[in-house]
Amino acid sequence: MSKVKEKIVNEYSLNLKKGDLAKEVEELSGVNLFGCYQCGTCSAGCPYVEEMDLTPDEVIRYIILDRKEVLNSKTIWLCSSCFTCAERCPRDINITKIMEALRQIILRKNIDKTKLTMLTKEEKEVIPQLAFVCLFRKNVG
Amino acid sequence: MKLLYYPGCTLKTSAKNLEKSAFCIAEALGHEIVEMKDWNCCGVSSSLTDDDLMHHLAPLRNLVHIEDEGETQIITLCDMCCNTLKQTNLRVKEKPEDLETLNSFMDEENDYKGTVKILHFLEFLRDEVSFDKLKKMVKNPLKGMKIMPYYGCMLLRPREVAIDDAEEPTIMRDLLKSLGAEVIDNPFKIECCGSYHTIEEKKLVSDRAYRITKFAQDRGAEAIVLSCPLCRFNLDVRGKEAEKIYNNYKQVPVYYYSQLIAVALGLDPKNCGFGDHAVDPILLLKKKGVFENKRE
Amino acid sequence: MPLKSYNKKMDHDLGIPLQDDYFYDDPEEIIERKSMPKLETTEKKLKELAKKGEKKVIDADVLIIGAGISGMQAALDIGDKGYKVVIIDKTSTIGGAMVKLDKTFPTNDCSICTAAPKMVELSRHPNIELITYADVNSLDGKPGNFKVNIWRKSKYVDPDKCTGCDDCAEVCPVEVVNPFDEKLSTRKAIYIEFPQAVPIVYTIDYDNCIGCGSCDRVCEPEAISFLEKSEEIEVNVGSVIVATGFEVFEPTEMRKEYGYGKYDNVITALQFERLLSSFGPTEGKVFRPSDRKKPKSIGWIQCVGSRSEQLGFPYCSRVCCMYATKEASIAKEANPDIDITIYYMDIRAYGKDFQQYYDHAKDLGVKYVRGRPSSVYENPDKSITVRYKDTLTGKIEENTVDMLVLSTAIKPNKDNKRLGGALGIDVDENGFFKQDSLLTDPIQSSRKGIFLAGCIQGPKDIPDSVSMASGAAAKAVAPIKDREKHIGKEFPPEKDVSNEKPRIGVFICHCGKNIANYLDVEKVTEETKKLPNVELAEHWMFVCSEDSCKKIKEAVKEKGLNRVIVAACSPRTHGGLFQDTLMEAGLNKYLFEMANIRNHCSWVHSDDWDAATKKAIDLVRSSVAKTRHLESLTEEEFSIYPKALIIGGGVSGMKAALALADMGIKSIILEKESNLGGRLNHLHSMFPSDTKAEDIINPMIKNITKNKLITVMTNSELNELDGYIGNYKGKVKQKGKIKEIEFGTIIVATGFKEIDLDGEYQYGKNKNIMSQTELETKLKNNDLKEPKNVVIINCAGAMDKKRPYCCRVGCGVSIKNAKLIAQKYPKSKVYLLYRDMRVFGKDEEEYYADVLKNYHVTTIRYPGDNKPEVSLDRKNPKDGPVTVKVHDDILNEDMTLPADLLVLTVNTEGGSETEKLKNMLKVPVDAAGFFIETHAKIKPLDFSTSGVYMCGAAHYPKNLVDAIAQAEGAASRAAIPIAQEKMKGEGIVSHVIEDKCRGCGTCEMACAYSAIELVPHSRDPARLVAKVNRALCKGCGSCAAACLNSAIEQKGYNSKQINLMISALLDEEAGR
Repeated sequence: MSKVKEKIVNEYSLNLKKGDLAKEVEELSGVNLFGCYQCGTCSAGCPYVEEMDLTPDEVIRYIILDRKEVLNSKTIWLCSSCFTCAERCPRDINITKIMEALRQIILRKNIDKTKLTMLTKEEKEVIPQLAFVCLFRKNVG
Repeated sequence: MKLLYYPGCTLKTSAKNLEKSAFCIAEALGHEIVEMKDWNCCGVSSSLTDDDLMHHLAPLRNLVHIEDEGETQIITLCDMCCNTLKQTNLRVKEKPEDLETLNSFMDEENDYKGTVKILHFLEFLRDEVSFDKLKKMVKNPLKGMKIMPYYGCMLLRPREVAIDDAEEPTIMRDLLKSLGAEVIDNPFKIECCGSYHTIEEKKLVSDRAYRITKFAQDRGAEAIVLSCPLCRFNLDVRGKEAEKIYNNYKQVPVYYYSQLIAVALGLDPKNCGFGDHAVDPILLLKKKGVFENKRE
Repeated sequence: MPLKSYNKKMDHDLGIPLQDDYFYDDPEEIIERKSMPKLETTEKKLKELAKKGEKKVIDADVLIIGAGISGMQAALDIGDKGYKVVIIDKTSTIGGAMVKLDKTFPTNDCSICTAAPKMVELSRHPNIELITYADVNSLDGKPGNFKVNIWRKSKYVDPDKCTGCDDCAEVCPVEVVNPFDEKLSTRKAIYIEFPQAVPIVYTIDYDNCIGCGSCDRVCEPEAISFLEKSEEIEVNVGSVIVATGFEVFEPTEMRKEYGYGKYDNVITALQFERLLSSFGPTEGKVFRPSDRKKPKSIGWIQCVGSRSEQLGFPYCSRVCCMYATKEASIAKEANPDIDITIYYMDIRAYGKDFQQYYDHAKDLGVKYVRGRPSSVYENPDKSITVRYKDTLTGKIEENTVDMLVLSTAIKPNKDNKRLGGALGIDVDENGFFKQDSLLTDPIQSSRKGIFLAGCIQGPKDIPDSVSMASGAAAKAVAPIKDREKHIGKEFPPEKDVSNEKPRIGVFICHCGKNIANYLDVEKVTEETKKLPNVELAEHWMFVCSEDSCKKIKEAVKEKGLNRVIVAACSPRTHGGLFQDTLMEAGLNKYLFEMANIRNHCSWVHSDDWDAATKKAIDLVRSSVAKTRHLESLTEEEFSIYPKALIIGGGVSGMKAALALADMGIKSIILEKESNLGGRLNHLHSMFPSDTKAEDIINPMIKNITKNKLITVMTNSELNELDGYIGNYKGKVKQKGKIKEIEFGTIIVATGFKEIDLDGEYQYGKNKNIMSQTELETKLKNNDLKEPKNVVIINCAGAMDKKRPYCCRVGCGVSIKNAKLIAQKYPKSKVYLLYRDMRVFGKDEEEYYADVLKNYHVTTIRYPGDNKPEVSLDRKNPKDGPVTVKVHDDILNEDMTLPADLLVLTVNTEGGSETEKLKNMLKVPVDAAGFFIETHAKIKPLDFSTSGVYMCGAAHYPKNLVDAIAQAEGAASRAAIPIAQEKMKGEGIVSHVIEDKCRGCGTCEMACAYSAIELVPHSRDPARLVAKVNRALCKGCGSCAAACLNSAIEQKGYNSKQINLMISALLDEEAGR
């Protein structure tokens, strides 16, 4: 039973280039993720893993097994690109780039994750600018 | 000595205190910080897809303008800007064909020749000034203050652009020791603060701040020192919000390293902008009598 | 956490005389040295040395660099064949890394107890010259004629005078971090590595000695001399074996997230071994480094620094899974209340009895968690919290342990590059020495005449190292085979004392302070003098010293002694030395007896002077009682027929024959099929280098057919076997005709076969379900139709109740074949279902990573208690596609995979002829049909029955590299009796009194060496009586003890002698 419950995108309508999720991710990220040993180091080191529905090593597994519902997981949007996983991975797989690739697959279809409407004026002034720049870079196409 | 300086967006708005205190320190050390001309957004965060050259344009343009001023070194205060600029610098060095593409796209600008070296202010203090020199200049040692250094992500990862070892960094520890403070080690010092999730997932960030701070507090830490404006906001503001979620939790004051150096060097605390913090930093300093501490 | 290392502070000149006049009663101050002493670079010293002068030159046959277990095994093999060996080691003792271990897996034998006898044997071997504290400077020449320059550092202690008493170390004021204890303790500047060191000569660590002279002042034999110089030695040899071993990775620069060096309670596995060791820093008790208390929980992290593409080494270190299991199960057995967890990625329990050892550890309560921890942190009470994901439950967890052990990688010696440069041999990209060709010649280095043995070629465990060392011995003998051989030592003729009354000489040893400080040796001597037949009783400081042995010989001559007793230590270590002394004095060596008044008396009764003295007197008296009745014994000599029989003509058999031929020894290969090659005839290619199988065996077969020393008999089987070592006669059935052959030694190389799956996984019911061998044969003959979906199921018939062992080669084979299929049919989808990925050999881990990344093979891990299910297609059960249902252990879900090709990696068992052979050869076989060696760790190629050896898959399934190393090793072992040409049996053999024997056969069953058989009585052929084969009897006495009629007596230990000993021990009067 799949662990992904949400439905942000209809993955089957995404019409992935070459029809293969793993190839798409590889092309965007330059990372050959088939070498993953499923050791769990990335997941154990990830700061947000407790809120994720799929842990990072499960994300990689889903890509290898060509399960496109990984594009619907909360995980890829929770990732803040802190690079902890990439630094510790014994197989030298850059998981940060894989997460970005998954995000880009969705964002480049003109689907935005963030629709920033719920912020108070006060917060807009207090929160550091670079947070906004980062957010738009990561969540908006 | 003249130091060319790249501010970035946040230093001019939410992190004015970081900028001001850094300027004071530089002046005390005999350096003049000059802001570079015609800078633009650094382009955070650095492009993570291989085919994406577009997002390297913004940082590259900054580097071109630095070269235009005839300089080869730039100082940054913001961790994120430092990381992004360094990553772009590295990318164009490793792939000259990408540099060519970028240069030809920016046809209104000069070509980037690849000569710029980007230094974070901490690096500058460690390598060019040396902590020993700082130690000799200390007038109010931070005696009795138990401080936990917090690095966050951008200073240390990815390894290619790190300013210190990614697993066991010592730069802030060495700095604090030379200022006379007691350093509390914390395994969470290199964990992500929550970054941009502070906008949409506030609780997540509060949890992070709680986790990071509580651990250090259990080991006796009374304050946190860090260098990134976003980390400061997350640990300070969102950390204070965590007090409502977790019982018996009190957020400790969060300092920029530059503020602590300024205090230790006996510079005017008004330049440190302590009023911009959520948890009042001056209280602890007063309690420990730092302003009265005189060097033996 | 290790002690911090110290920096060097001072410079010395060579050999300065004593400085100021300090005299220390006790060490007054401990002077902290700042450096971790490095051995001096030889070239620098060479230049500094003003007096180049005379160089010592040694002419020998083989030089062995490195005296660990591999170096020692190779030296003994070559020395036993009669050639002269020079063996050097850069530390001050031999033994290598094996002596640092506490116990060895999977037998849990005490490591030093198995290694020490080899060490003593080596030091006393007449053909082996041991030079310790020496290193190689340069090498010139060509195979058969090498000139090697060695720099021997001075120990500043005279080896002939030092008795190993430890007085000097007690007064030395300098403490240095001890590298032997892996930095967990300190030692003095004058030291011995460990108590059982060979040679037992103290060494002064020149870099840290301050020249105070305290040691010299207290040394009674006056063995210390600061004027002893280091020297250059030139050795002329024919071949060289390099066996310098390995180092253990310390994660101080890489993998810092595990806190080594930062947190007190994080240690490496080798440091944990030192904690377990009885002569380690905690005397065998497991204590936390931070507070010296017993830990309540211990954790192990596997693969630290191994299997890493970044921040580590890409290869698998091969032994860590097993040693962690061993350390964990030893700790758990001794302290059942300690909570133990091992964090792993794969458990590589691939060898003989390994899987069963791993299962046993789980039964003991050791927890295994599949998850590689991301980082650890220290809590205020110094315990360590580990953060990991348990990949089999999917949860992120944190676990706190009192102590954390890191199973770090085995990495090449730092010195390898320099040594490689000096010797002119290549080093591979990881730093291990490069072999000439991994799949055909793994022992030959990149330069002819220089061979590799042990871990310098890649990590491996003790049995594999020992096999490879024997193989290196065989190859090293080839260039020098025609040189003169020296078997045994020359002794003066024996005096015949059978008509004399016993004239006994008793020599009582002080053993320094070990005996003399705990009992009154004077009194013992006085009491002994009073006994009848004792002509001479003396007590000396060290009876084993060269000086004393000379005095014994003189005493024998002057006083006409015809029996000698030494009352001292254990005959296991010193018995041989004294027997040699007797022979040098012209007496039969069996006229000697030893009374152990040290291990059996002074060491265990050290708190009761009077009682210990009385016991010593009793022990000596009982020895005298026996000695009166000692007789000269003869050792029968057997000639050895100079030919070896090799049963099995596969790769192992062929390699053994070629190795024997290179040594100039004839052999016969018996192969039951019609052509040589064995299993490789059916295979496509071999991993990890994808060489075609036929490219491996065809050149070998060609070499064999050309070789005049090898006789090949195909279509042949051994029908009958008669005789014993050196004198075998066999009847071979070849194509219906019986041929008779004669040979001296036997090598069993009969290989293995796939088991009968008995329909498991629907095998045999569908055309598209096949075993790996069948797949390879089809691929070879281009007989496979293009598949779309391929499923490979590993461990079919393995690691279950019926066959609890691992097939060792299955993982490698399955990956190689997955690659073959993916290469040939790029559009097919390949799934590999596995339980543990056990690719442990050299280059195999990198091969596996390459296959995953570039051929996109999808691996699915399934649990042992929920095996995949195969269902046939209802419409087309015999020919159609199948469906495989498997439980993915990591995602915790069931998956259904369609397959139009299902390949099963079938477990293996012993060859089909094993039953018949084992009865003919009288050798044991285990439940799986694999032959049982005499000692799992240090004698993996020998049977308990002398004269029979084994190699290859007949011992246990193994991959090609290990099989070839074993085959060459078996050739070396089988060549030893042949090279010696004659063999001397034991003197203390058993002897059957025919008239008393009932022929019940109890003794035959009690004999572990197959030395007894029932034969017709000499005068009454209707009766069967037992007969002892003197060539095979080892004098263990089991038969004499087992005999219900007391019809067997053991020479040298007969009932009368034993009874007299017991009476004398208990009753003073009876001793007179």
